[in-house]
Amino acid sequence: MLDPVMYTGGVYKHDLIMELVEDLGGYLLQKNVTQSEVILLLLIPSDDMPILAALAKELRGELVRAPLAGTEVAVVTPTLAIHHLPHSACDVAEYLRRHGAKSNMVGLARGVGREIAQINEYETDLVNEHDACVFMFGNFVQCIVEKGPLYRNINVPVVVTGGPEIPKEKMPYAFEYVSSVGRISHRSKKANELANLDRIVAAVGRALDRARRDIEKDPLTTSPPRVMDAVREQVPEVQSSFSPLPIALNLNGCRIKLPYDEFHQAVSDVTFDEGMRLGDIATIRPSRMKRYILVRIKPESETGFVI
Amino acid sequence: MDPLEVFKVEAPGEEYGEKKYREILLDILQDLGLVRSIGRLYVYADISKPYFAVFGLFRGALPPLLVRDIGDVAAAGDGFQIKVNDEEHLADLVRVLWERYGRDNVEQPDRDILTVISKDSPADIPVADLDREFRQDLTDALIRIAPEGFRNRMNEMKEDSFFFIAAEETLTSEMIAEVREKIRGMMNA
Repeated sequence: MLDPVMYTGGVYKHDLIMELVEDLGGYLLQKNVTQSEVILLLLIPSDDMPILAALAKELRGELVRAPLAGTEVAVVTPTLAIHHLPHSACDVAEYLRRHGAKSNMVGLARGVGREIAQINEYETDLVNEHDACVFMFGNFVQCIVEKGPLYRNINVPVVVTGGPEIPKEKMPYAFEYVSSVGRISHRSKKANELANLDRIVAAVGRALDRARRDIEKDPLTTSPPRVMDAVREQVPEVQSSFSPLPIALNLNGCRIKLPYDEFHQAVSDVTFDEGMRLGDIATIRPSRMKRYILVRIKPESETGFVI
Repeated sequence: MDPLEVFKVEAPGEEYGEKKYREILLDILQDLGLVRSIGRLYVYADISKPYFAVFGLFRGALPPLLVRDIGDVAAAGDGFQIKVNDEEHLADLVRVLWERYGRDNVEQPDRDILTVISKDSPADIPVADLDREFRQDLTDALIRIAPEGFRNRMNEMKEDSFFFIAAEETLTSEMIAEVREKIRGMMNA
């Protein structure tokens, strides 16, 4: 069992942490260097956590659990206009990021209004590539309830946020509804506002747990971090991608930020120690996000084995 | 405490929305520095229709900004020297002086110093129309405040008041009359 954690510390000697993670059989998901500080998102075998904690302490770094690490969450707003950004959509996206998730903001083209709100096929497909999504609505009960059709065709769990208290039964297509997070035009910094953001993170965490449980029923042929590691090793071009996170992990695969047409064959040919090609154990198709490469690992029921 | 003399928000059947829109209005008006110029504010929103309306009374027209309001004017040599204290309107000031005295007679030896070759003092020349700027900012604020989907708008600016209505569907004269009646009711309540 791998535990997701976030290490924050000085740049000096942080490579010791990375080496230890490799030695323990863990994975480095993301590395962010900000001047003299480094933030590492890691997956570590649960049993070896005390060893890493001891080294982090020695280096005067901080090690915290990042429950959303290794997942991608979409924060969806009716548009990307001043009514939603930077408050409160950016606050939520940033808060999810602090808990380890890779959050993407999605502004709908025509999501505004009570009766005229709509979502198109492209937007639905894009949101469906994530592990979970947060739909952010406003302060009026009627508007929130009537916007249900926007997320009716979304296959991943949908956490809806809005201002007023609304019984969950009125939103049959939502996984959970988080109240007290409607439209606000100032930064969330009061204790109660931060508590609301915590409630969103908790709801997203529950949504992801459900998705994980579903996956466990029919395990994936291999784990997404292992695919990430193999691609990183065998497709060196990925290292020169300008994206801050060249390989974004999902619960059932990953998105490789290289052009599909040029690199999908190279990704397909990535070989594991057991001799299997990635193309044999996963579906490789163009992502709706900038036509990157989307890898979806097939479950054991399809391939008949687990590596 | 509200910085406005009267500030009423009504949205039938939407108690939470009423409370939150008070905060949104104050946040946006304060961000744009408009609160002090508005005396009374009435907001009426009916989400079942749906429309959103704001009626406000101004505290009084803002006087035009004169050269002496943004800097110290003193006689110097063949003309006058202006030591600018408020750089926000410096570009307007230079433009006005150029128009009045010609480019050859205006110099800027330092960032905040302007010299004018003239016999008349420039102290009483108007530099900016603050009232017009305020009305532009207010229109911007009202568009930000109204719910985003309400894109059919009407904005009526008068000498001492303004009336703004935004709706999802086409605005009709009956709808506008109904909103005016509701706001009149709020004022008389």
